[in-house]
Amino acid sequence: MTIETEQREIEDSQQKHIRHQGMEAMQVLDVIEKDFSDNPEAMQYFYDLFRDVYCNGIKPHPGKEMIGTMCVQVPDEIIHAAGGIPVRMCNGFYTDEEAGGEFMPAKSCSLVKASLGMLKSKTNPYSEGIKTIVNPTTCDQKKKSAGMMREMGYKIYDMELPPVKESEIGREYWRRSVRLFTKEVGKITGKKVTRKGLKETIRKIGRAQNAYHRLNEARKLTPLPFLGKDMFVVTNAFFFDDLERWTLATEKLADEIDKRVENKYNTAGKRSPRIVFTGSPPVFPNLKVPLMIEQSDAVIVADETCSSNRLLNDMVSVDEWFMYDMVDAVADRYLKSCTCPIFTMNDDRIRRLIELVRSSNADGVIYQAFAGCGVYEMEQRSVAKAMEKEGIPMLYIETDYSPSQGGQLSTRIEAFVESLKARSRRK
Amino acid sequence: MSIKSRIDRVDLRPFRFWFQLLAFVFLVYGGHLAVDLGNSLPTFSCGYNSQGTAGVCYLLPLQHQLAQPWERLFSPAGMAVLGGFGLFILWFVVLNKAWCGYICPLGTIQDWITGLRKRIGIPYSNYSDDHFNKLKVIKYFLLLALIFIPLAIGGQFISHDWGVPFCKICPARMIIPAFNGDFSQWTIDFSSNTKMVLTALGMFIVGLFLVGSFVKKRFFCFFCPMSAFHFIFSKLSILKLKKDGSKCTVCGDCYRVCDMQIKPIADDVKSVDILKDDCILCLKCVAACPEEGALKVDVLGKTIFEATRGGFSKRMGMEKNDD
Repeated sequence: MTIETEQREIEDSQQKHIRHQGMEAMQVLDVIEKDFSDNPEAMQYFYDLFRDVYCNGIKPHPGKEMIGTMCVQVPDEIIHAAGGIPVRMCNGFYTDEEAGGEFMPAKSCSLVKASLGMLKSKTNPYSEGIKTIVNPTTCDQKKKSAGMMREMGYKIYDMELPPVKESEIGREYWRRSVRLFTKEVGKITGKKVTRKGLKETIRKIGRAQNAYHRLNEARKLTPLPFLGKDMFVVTNAFFFDDLERWTLATEKLADEIDKRVENKYNTAGKRSPRIVFTGSPPVFPNLKVPLMIEQSDAVIVADETCSSNRLLNDMVSVDEWFMYDMVDAVADRYLKSCTCPIFTMNDDRIRRLIELVRSSNADGVIYQAFAGCGVYEMEQRSVAKAMEKEGIPMLYIETDYSPSQGGQLSTRIEAFVESLKARSRRK
Repeated sequence: MSIKSRIDRVDLRPFRFWFQLLAFVFLVYGGHLAVDLGNSLPTFSCGYNSQGTAGVCYLLPLQHQLAQPWERLFSPAGMAVLGGFGLFILWFVVLNKAWCGYICPLGTIQDWITGLRKRIGIPYSNYSDDHFNKLKVIKYFLLLALIFIPLAIGGQFISHDWGVPFCKICPARMIIPAFNGDFSQWTIDFSSNTKMVLTALGMFIVGLFLVGSFVKKRFFCFFCPMSAFHFIFSKLSILKLKKDGSKCTVCGDCYRVCDMQIKPIADDVKSVDILKDDCILCLKCVAACPEEGALKVDVLGKTIFEATRGGFSKRMGMEKNDD
C-alpha cells in the first residue's frame, strides 16, 4: 500500500501576499454583488473589472507606463495630455496595510500604510508599470510616505500644494506648480503636452464627469434607483481604469438608471434612512463602512469623499482655449473647490455637506475617520457642531482596515439607523 | 426641450458678439437714419460723433448742465438737470450694467481688440490683488471730478477752459467719431494751457486704451466713471445678477472667466444680489458656472438665464458625442 501525498509547492511571501489580497478582494466583491438583490445590470462591467484586476491577475494597461498619483489634486487632464496614464496610489487592502506597518508609527492612517505596503511588496496589479509617483504636498503622512517611496526606488515628483486655498497667493502658487508640472510631465512620458492634446483631454474628462453627475443626480431622488455601494465601486474604478472605457461603461449605467427612474424603481426599503457619507475615503476593498450602512437598511444617497464626489465633482472651465488659459483653468479646478481637510479652513466642506443633505433629502450624516488620520479626526469637531446647528444627526466612526472591528461597528451603525427611523416616525 | 432650457444652453459668445455688433452699428451710425434716443444714454455713445450718433452719452450733457452759472443752476430753470437725470435712470433700470457688457460701443471695441489678441494667441494679463484694490477707486475719483469741476466752473472758481473735463480725456471722443471717418478730435488744443494739458492727456489715454485693452480684457472699464455712476443706482434696476451661495462650490470657474477680475463672484457665498461695481453684466460667469442654479439673471424676479450643468457642458464641448 502506498500513500500518495499531494505535492504542494511552498509559496514565498510574495505569492502569499497576492493570495491574501485576492481573497480579501473576492470576499468584498461577493458581498457587493451577491448580498444585494437589485444590482443594475450595467454594474457587471465594474464588478468584473475589479475581479479581473484584483482576483484574476489581469493587469490594467499592460505594457504601458503608468504614473502614480498620491492624492486627488494631481491633474489627470495634464497626465493624459502627456500620453501618460494616471493611477491613484490610495489603497484599501488590509493585507497591504499590514505589510506597510513597518514604515509608519503605530497610530497612523491605514490608507497611507496600505499604499506603502502595496508599493513595497510590489504585488499590486500596477507595480510593473509604475516608476514615477506624483506627490502633491497634502497631509503630513502622505508627504512623509512619499519620501519612503523614494527610498524604495520610485521616482517621486513633489508637486507643491499650498495649505491655504482662499488667498490669491495660494492660487498663484498652485498655478505655478501646475504650469511646472505640465512641462515636467512631458519629460517623464516623453511626450510634450500640446494645446490640442490638452483641449482634448479636458473635454474627455469633462465628459467622464458628466457621466458621473448623471448618476449623482439620480441618486438624490426618491425612490432611490441604485445603492451607494455601487457608486463607490464606479468611482473607485476611475482610479485605474481606462478613461474612455470607464466613461462608456458609466454612461451605459446612467442610461439604465434613467430607465429605473422613469419606472420609479426603488432599491431602498420603505423606511430606509438616507445617508450622506463623509470623511476618510472608502477605497476598494475597504468598503466596510458603506456596506455595513446599506446592510443595516439605510441607503447612501450622497458622499463627500476624495474617492468619489471630490474626485469628479468640479469641472474645468476654459475661457480661451490656449495653453496659458487651459493650464490655469485645470489648476483652479483642483484647488479652489477642493474640500480636502488639509487646508486651513473647512467652511467649504461644511457648506458642501449641508447642501448635499438638503438636495438629496438625507436624514443624517455618517462621518468616517481612519484612526490616525489627523486631519479628518480634527475636523470632526467643527463638522459635528455645524451639523448640530443645522439639526442634522451625525454619527462619527473611527475605524481602520482591520477586519476585527466588525461587530462593534455594525452595532453602532444599526443603532444610528434605528434612531433615524424613530426620528422620522416622530415627524 | 422647453424654451427655458434652450436659453440656458445657449452659446453666449456668438450671441453677445452679434448683439454687441448690432448695438454698435445702431448707436454709432443710427444718426444717419435720423435715429435720436436723446441725451441721457447710460453708455458711451459719444456725442462728439455728431454725424452718426443715435443718442448721446449722459456724461456730456451732465457736465454741460452742471457748469451753468449757479444762479441759473439753483433756480427753477435748473430743474432741467433733473429731467435729464430722470431719463438716464429710466434707461438704466431696464438693463442695469448690461449697458456695459452688451451695448457700450467703447466696451465692444475693447472686446474686438481682445478678439484680435486671442486670434494671435497671446496670453492676457491681470492685475494682482493689491493693484486691483488700489486702482479700482480711480473711477470714483473721476466721477467726483466730472461733477465737481463743472460745478466749480459755474461758481466761477475756475475757468471755462475746464469745461467737459472728462470728455476731454475720454478715449471715446477720439475713437468713436473715427468710425464715421471724423478725425477732427485727434488734435491737441493749444488755445489755453488747461485745454492743452487735458487734450494731450486725452491723446495719451487713447494710446493707453489701445495698448491696454490688447493686454488686459476690458482695460478701460475698470476706470470708467459711468460704471461707478451705474453702481450707485444698480439696486433700482429690474435686471439682477443673483447667486445662491448654498449651491456654490467656490470652484472659481466664474471668477476665472471674468473680464473684470471680480473675485467675490466666486468667493462670496452670502450675498444674493452679487452685482459688484466693476461688473459689466456680460454674463460670462453664468455661462461658465457648472452648478445648477448657483448663478442666474432675473428680470422683475423672473429668471431668464441660469447656470446649468447641461449648458456648461455644451459650451465647454464636454457633452457625450452621439457616435
